[in-house]
Amino acid sequence: MKDRGKDAPPRNLPWGDTLASGLAVAALALLAGFISLPLISLLVWMVDKGAWRAMASPVAMDALLLSVKTTTITMAILLVVGTPAAYVLARADFRGNRVINTLLDIPVVLPPSAAGIALLLAFGRLGLVGQYLDVFGVTVSFTTAAVVMAEIFVAAPFYVRQAATGFGAVDRTIEEAALVDGAGRATVFFRVTIPLAFPALVAGALTAWARALGEFGATIIFAGSFRGVTQTIPLAIFAEFQGDIDAAVALSVLVLGFAFVVILAVRYLTARTGSYET
Amino acid sequence: MRPKVNLYFLVALISISALSGLPACGQAAGGGEGGEKGERTLTILAASSLTDAFGELGQTFEEQNQGVRVKQSFGSSSDLLVQIQQGAPADVFASAAQEEMNTAVKDGLVNGTPQIFVKNREVVMVPKDNPANIERLREVAKPDIKLVLAQKDVPAADYAVEILGKANAQYGDDFEEDVLSNVVSREADVRASVNRVVVGDADATFGYASDYTPDIRGRVKVVPIAPDLNIIATYPIAALKDSKDPKLAKKWVDLVTSEEGQRVLEKWNFEPAA
Repeated sequence: MKDRGKDAPPRNLPWGDTLASGLAVAALALLAGFISLPLISLLVWMVDKGAWRAMASPVAMDALLLSVKTTTITMAILLVVGTPAAYVLARADFRGNRVINTLLDIPVVLPPSAAGIALLLAFGRLGLVGQYLDVFGVTVSFTTAAVVMAEIFVAAPFYVRQAATGFGAVDRTIEEAALVDGAGRATVFFRVTIPLAFPALVAGALTAWARALGEFGATIIFAGSFRGVTQTIPLAIFAEFQGDIDAAVALSVLVLGFAFVVILAVRYLTARTGSYET
Repeated sequence: MRPKVNLYFLVALISISALSGLPACGQAAGGGEGGEKGERTLTILAASSLTDAFGELGQTFEEQNQGVRVKQSFGSSSDLLVQIQQGAPADVFASAAQEEMNTAVKDGLVNGTPQIFVKNREVVMVPKDNPANIERLREVAKPDIKLVLAQKDVPAADYAVEILGKANAQYGDDFEEDVLSNVVSREADVRASVNRVVVGDADATFGYASDYTPDIRGRVKVVPIAPDLNIIATYPIAALKDSKDPKLAKKWVDLVTSEEGQRVLEKWNFEPAA
């Protein structure tokens, strides 16, 4: 504390504090404005040009349905596979732990388009794995399954990392107490560990879902773009932008509203569950 | 109300430059120095089928005009037209179809009269190992073929659909419908759809003869389309009204239509315009 005093500006000058907090508030206002202005522009354009009509177009509806479907499947697979995986990552002290942690960071920093190329080279017809799948008559290119694979690839780390942090923060003595009381390991996991880590699991799931919903680069490269099969909302926006900008705006507003509803719903549900559990 | 309009424009411009890889500020800087001899920039928006030929001509142009940098952005002609309509700063537009150029002329975006500078014809492309066994145009209608086309409004795809319509007379009324039911993906431009065949995921695609470039010859086979069914694509080129350097823009058009330019285009499998 004494050392800090030398370099830091004098603490007891009120104008310094005022200036600092003023700058911080200005920074926040700047950021909020920067984020809200483009969103407002979307809405203004939509109202001004009557672009909302394009929201009910078959292209938009197919894209929305496909996005709902693929992100739901992605999240179901992520929760079933990612939750136990995160638990092992948090609890087991094995030698490859570090390597796996680094591996899980890669899809986060890798540009999605690079992920798409990588998936294509692995699972495409002539790919490393794809050539063997092809022998059995299994092709994933241009299917909805390819969209889900792209979404899992980019979204999984977001869930697994946050879930692992959540599990890591659970007090082991509580679990051990339950075990001593005669509960089975599975019961302890579902009745004690999961409820305690719940906020972290929800936060992780929400980030992963958002990432999956926004997935563009990996999907368009690996899965292609076809209405109702692989053309999710981000791909439909890109396709419409090349022809009908009003439709692209309408789709953007549609996905904005959809994301907003989901965030609100999750906030509401977890706020209730949270108070219930604690 | 005025600021709002400017806002749209700004938003559109930012997204366009982000999408097309044209840094808006870089353009402005280049244009600002347009008067000086030191650093001049010529920006060309060209159909993606012209990627290789124009790439080579760009080098020639830079050699012939010291201190000039040629910047090229390749995409589907329909996409480029939208960019020009939204005010993307560019000097020359080379389209793979008359339709896009006609719209540009109608919207008053073009300087002078567009010139047809080259012709191209459509072909079917299949992977070298030809998994679906396609030897003739007719066989693209076989069930369960994975056919990839460029997006609607992309000239290469529109020509393909036109060819299918013509072929109905020879192959039966269901031919076009059967072929289109085989489509599994619509790509952003013709080069992207050809790449689906290059990596082997698509069984077939429609592209231009000029898309059969040396670097993909080892992985792709061409199935020609009979001349009576084929459609000859004519490519118009024009300087743009917003050009910061109209003289330089005209020089580019002159190079492309010159004997030298035509020779380069022919080298890349295009057919001379005349």
